[in-house]
Amino acid sequence: MPDTDMPSPSSGWLIGVREAVPLLGGYIPVAVSFGLISTQAGFSTAETLAISTLIYAGASQFLFVGMVASGSPLWLTVALTLLINVRHVVYAPNIAPWLPKSRWWPWLMHGLTDQIFALAHSRLPQLPAAQRVGWFFGAALLAWLSWIAGSLLGAVAGEWLTHRWPLLGEVMPFALPALFLVLIVPRFTSRRWALALGISIVAALLCTLTGLTNIGIPLAAACGALCFYLIRLPERVRPVGGKRR
Amino acid sequence: MSFELWIAMIVAALGTYLIRLLPLIWMQQRLKRRDGDAAVDVLPKWLVVLGPMMIAAVLGVSLVPRTPDLAGWLATVVGLGVTLVVWRKTRSLGWPVVGGVLTFGVVVIVARVVI
Repeated sequence: MPDTDMPSPSSGWLIGVREAVPLLGGYIPVAVSFGLISTQAGFSTAETLAISTLIYAGASQFLFVGMVASGSPLWLTVALTLLINVRHVVYAPNIAPWLPKSRWWPWLMHGLTDQIFALAHSRLPQLPAAQRVGWFFGAALLAWLSWIAGSLLGAVAGEWLTHRWPLLGEVMPFALPALFLVLIVPRFTSRRWALALGISIVAALLCTLTGLTNIGIPLAAACGALCFYLIRLPERVRPVGGKRR
Repeated sequence: MSFELWIAMIVAALGTYLIRLLPLIWMQQRLKRRDGDAAVDVLPKWLVVLGPMMIAAVLGVSLVPRTPDLAGWLATVVGLGVTLVVWRKTRSLGWPVVGGVLTFGVVVIVARVVI
C-alpha cells in the first residue's frame, strides 16, 4: 500500500469536503441547539466551544451539560458520557482495511463520528488508496468545523435564530436520514441482508420513539446482526450465473 | 467552569478519543500480522456484518422528525421516497440528499397548511 504521509491538496480532500456537505444539514441545526442549551445551562461561549471542539460527540455533549447543570456527581457524568460513546469502538476496525499507511490516522480518529463512519465505510473502498487520507481529512475537518461553528452560533444567537427561522431547523436535519438511506441502499443485496438491515432500522426507530436514542444504535445494530446470523431465507430463483447468498 | 469541571471535560474528551483510536491500533496490528491475506478477509466476520448494521441503526435513529406530528411523518416518508428515486436515477451522493431535503420542506409546509 502506498505511504501517503501528507494529505496533499491533490489527494482527494476536495472530494471529501464535497461529499461531506450533506452532513452539514444535520450537524449545524443540532450544534446550534447544543450551543443554546449549553449557554442556558450556565456554560460560557468559550466553554461551550471547548466542549464541542474536544469531546465532539453530539448526544454525549447534551448529556454532559445536562448532568453538570443538574448537579450530578462529576465521575458519573464522565462515566455516562463515555458509555454513550462506547458504540464508536466498532467504527475504526471496520474501515481499517481501507486505510493506507499514514502517520495522520491517529489524529484523524478524533473526527470519526457516526456520520463520518457511515460515509467513510461506503466511500473509502471506492476511492484509490492515494486519495483516502485526503478524503477522510477533508470530510472529517468540514464536519468538525461545522459542529464547532454551529455551537458558536447557538451559544451567541441560538435563541434569536430558532425564533426567526423555526422551519429551517426542522427541515435541514432531514439531510441526515436522506444521506444514510443513500449509503445503506446498496447494501440490500439479498433478502437476508434486506431483512437484517430492515430490522436494524426499525429497532433503532422504535428505540428513539421510546426515548432510548443513545442505547438505540448499538442495540438495533446487534438485533440486525443477530437476525443476520439466525435467520436463513430462501433466495429468489435467479438467472443462471446469478449470485446466491 | 471550575477546575474540577475542566478536568472532567478533558477526561471525557480524552476517553472519547481513545474509544475511537485504540480499536484502530488493534485492527492495524491484526492486519500487519496477517500481511499475506486480503485486507477484508482479516476483518472478523461479525465486524463485517456489524458495520452496515450500525449505519442502518443510525438511519433508524435519524428518521424521527424534529416535530413528530402527521406533517413531519408524511414529509419523512415522501422525502425518503424522492431520495430513493433520485438515487436510482443518478447513483450519486449529493443530488438525492438535495432532492430529499427540498421535498421534505415542501411537504411539511403544504401539509401544515392543509391539515
